[in-house]
Amino acid sequence: MNRFRAMAYPYVLFISILVVIPMLLIIAYAFTVEGTAFFQHQFTLDNFARFFSDAVFLQVLVRSLRVAVFTTIVCLILGYPAAYCIAKSERRQGILILIITLPTWINMLVRTYAWVGILQDNGLLNAVLGTLGLGQLHLMYTDFAVVLGMVYNFIPFMILEISAALSKMDPSYLEAAEDLGANRRQSFLHVTLPLSLPGIISGITLVFLPAVSAFFIPKLLGGGSYVLVGNIIETEFLTAGNWSFGSALSLIMAIIIMLSIYLTRRIDRNRGEVS
Amino acid sequence: MKRLCSAILLGTIAVLPLTGCGGPGTEFDGTNTTSVGDGTTLKVYNWGEYTGENLLQNFEEEYHCTVIEETFDSNEMMYTKLEAGDQYDVLVPSDYMIQRLLNEDMLQPLDYGIIGNIDLLQEDCSGLPYDPENEYSIPYFWGSVGIVYVKDKVDRTALEQKGWEILRDPQYKDRIYMYDSERDSFMIALKSLGYSMNTDNKAELYEAYDWLVEQRELVSPIYVTDEVIDNMLNENKDLGVMYSGDAAYVLAENDNLGYYEPQQGTNIWSDAMVIPKNAANPDLANEFINYVLTYEASQDNTETVGYTSSNAEVFRDESSEGGMFYQNEAYIPRSGYDKDEVFEDNTTIRQLLSDLWIKVKAG
Repeated sequence: MNRFRAMAYPYVLFISILVVIPMLLIIAYAFTVEGTAFFQHQFTLDNFARFFSDAVFLQVLVRSLRVAVFTTIVCLILGYPAAYCIAKSERRQGILILIITLPTWINMLVRTYAWVGILQDNGLLNAVLGTLGLGQLHLMYTDFAVVLGMVYNFIPFMILEISAALSKMDPSYLEAAEDLGANRRQSFLHVTLPLSLPGIISGITLVFLPAVSAFFIPKLLGGGSYVLVGNIIETEFLTAGNWSFGSALSLIMAIIIMLSIYLTRRIDRNRGEVS
Repeated sequence: MKRLCSAILLGTIAVLPLTGCGGPGTEFDGTNTTSVGDGTTLKVYNWGEYTGENLLQNFEEEYHCTVIEETFDSNEMMYTKLEAGDQYDVLVPSDYMIQRLLNEDMLQPLDYGIIGNIDLLQEDCSGLPYDPENEYSIPYFWGSVGIVYVKDKVDRTALEQKGWEILRDPQYKDRIYMYDSERDSFMIALKSLGYSMNTDNKAELYEAYDWLVEQRELVSPIYVTDEVIDNMLNENKDLGVMYSGDAAYVLAENDNLGYYEPQQGTNIWSDAMVIPKNAANPDLANEFINYVLTYEASQDNTETVGYTSSNAEVFRDESSEGGMFYQNEAYIPRSGYDKDEVFEDNTTIRQLLSDLWIKVKAG
């Protein structure tokens, strides 16, 4: 094992330059007063106090979490059956996975812009509804548009993770369950589902993380009034020029994300012990 | 591994300046006889989609240099990069940002030994309050902020009567685009309330904040930035707050759109070329500014982008018969109206406005 350790050094270097140092800078900014040359600055907790004392910021945080949780649930409900089908279809598995990953070949921003063209008041969808003699739908700048955009962008992660877990499952478990008299519903609930749980957990993580910190999907599909934490962070850095408060927000988000990963891993481990 | 990385990096850096550069200046025949441009690189930092289609290429050919253009979407974004230490030769920020850069001593004076074309500058946008002698800046584009409306959905007389207040008329609920920036939104609210848009009176600012919150409750406007251009072009909503330059473009493309500058007064803005203190190549930067002022370059700019030219002759030709913007009501910004104002940078209220604006949007 020691022989291979050196092979990780380039990655360690890469990660320390691009992840560890920026993280330390964010922490430094978050605990200092306004400005960009942080060496001249003093320790403060004002940035955090400001966040927790203002109802608007908490409201935005709750909204971000709500949208992310909702997106994750929709991805799971739509993604699980799809992943199940992919895992079960042996010969076409390759092509099905290709179809799922195909959209990710195109830049995410471009794909999201395409939804603007489809959903807007005089857009594609309303044009089709109009020619069919059906009424106009007001879809842009709603919760629906934002969740749709997020589900559309992030669902491949869910499907790929779950189908990978399901494909690895040994079919003899199902045969054993059948031998022991389990019906299909029982063998799904007691064999397939628990065995796919690691896939579900990583799928949830991979969807929840980008969803909770997304900023251009809500901006494009939700309009400027659809403010999520990601949007405030963007504003603090680019418009307000308040790097300290922006860093504090980023840090709060990072802690929430780490906590949620820790919790989902624990669920995974507990379930593993039970079954 | 470390050594390999730095070798690749150094190799890339060494090759970069060689690409796309003109040869030695033997056949140099530019208007200026010095060889400032020879083989060097000019870094321009400008707004996105703000440059004539042939301008940079023509300049490169004439001055035997390479122009690298980077773009920004907001003055603040430009400022952030500049403050982080990025080096540019020419910037094109807006009025209030130039004032801030001047206050923070980040600009160098222009060299009028090189900029002979200053006489071509349109009178209405010369000697503006932030730089009365044009010592540091020369306008690139200028204009106003106004309301673009769909002619068969909005009654012009009602618009003229109400001015900015039409943006709070429940009749147009869900049919309005506001501009997603605290400066423009607070300008509208303050003007509508009859205050100066440069006020630092907290009571007036909170009154403007209430105006905006009420607006949100009354008409649920959509807060957008550049998306407003395509959206108004397609008549997705009836009313939209727009910069006159973007308005001139959409009006030229769609006859069913009109532009109106409310009688309560508006913001007369300008984006001007400046040279930062740390510019690597100030002589070439001055040459570039001189070049942008020429008829050819200004015409290329205004016809590509749609914003109002700062060159007097181009401005006149484009807005008279036969010009691209003949009878386009957004191309000629209102001038000389006493309720119109130019933005001033105010450090004390910058953070307050930013906070209040987030609250308006997120509330």
